[in-house]
Amino acid sequence: MDPFERQRLADGRLATRREALAQAVTDRAVELVMSAVDVNALLDRVDLNAVLDQVDMDRVLDRIDLNRLLERIDLNDIVQSLDVDALIQQTDLGAVIAASSSGAAADVLDAVRSQAVGLDEFIARWIGRLRRRPYTGPPGPPDRPRAEAAS
Amino acid sequence: MTARAGDALPSAPPVIRESLQGKYAGFASRFTAFAVDLGVGLGVFLLALAAISFAARVLTGQDISWNKGDTWVIIAYAVWQFIYFAYSWAASGRTAGMALIGVRVVTDDGTNVSGRRAVVRTLAFPLSFLFLGLGFAGILLGGRRRALHDVIAGTAVIYSWDARAARLRFLSRG
Repeated sequence: MDPFERQRLADGRLATRREALAQAVTDRAVELVMSAVDVNALLDRVDLNAVLDQVDMDRVLDRIDLNRLLERIDLNDIVQSLDVDALIQQTDLGAVIAASSSGAAADVLDAVRSQAVGLDEFIARWIGRLRRRPYTGPPGPPDRPRAEAAS
Repeated sequence: MTARAGDALPSAPPVIRESLQGKYAGFASRFTAFAVDLGVGLGVFLLALAAISFAARVLTGQDISWNKGDTWVIIAYAVWQFIYFAYSWAASGRTAGMALIGVRVVTDDGTNVSGRRAVVRTLAFPLSFLFLGLGFAGILLGGRRRALHDVIAGTAVIYSWDARAARLRFLSRG
């Protein structure tokens, strides 16, 4: 037997024991540190806004493969899990429809009025040209009765 | 080649960005409002005749036939038109058509029209139609855009619609 063979075997066994011991010491040390650290106090001291300011969201988003992400999401499952009836019951659809309808009606009314005013101006400009007088905008009383005119 | 300023055609109607509220209303707005009022007035009158016919048939079993040539139908229509315009102008300074278009009647000094002035304006209104509507020329040519019945009643028609607020409203909806 090689005289150095026995020493190599002894060194190997010692190395394994040393690694196991180091691992155990490390685990114990981490456990002791974690139990000693107040995570809430630590988080209180962290300025998350400052951290987020340093995050380049564009770079983060560039690294995310959204297509792969979406492929893994089953939208049908999500939709089927929604209780649409309960959702509708909680939503004041009447108010929503009324608000959108009144908004559309107001838009139509504004459009009609705007067209009428535009036509007024068009006619007035032509009359001004025919009379060889420059048209400088619709006339109004000196003190423009705005308060009275408010609708 | 440069075009002289005087040769340029009037540009297209601008997008109304400035509020014209309180300024004298032009011909198109007033004419459109009047056309709407004619439609509303005629519609309500015909509905009233139909209601009377229905009530008479239910109560007496006899049909009433209306003839637009009947003198009393014409008189009833004239009275209805008088009430419609006079009451609207006296109550709020505007008829349904004027409210739709965003114009209203005020006195010379910009105050609300009184009942008496509204009646005078209504009675003078037909006079503007005489001589091929010559009484309306003042709206096109006059500095204060007043028709003959405006001059007689001491009134003017102004924009009551706030274009700037409407534009902001539109923009706020995105």
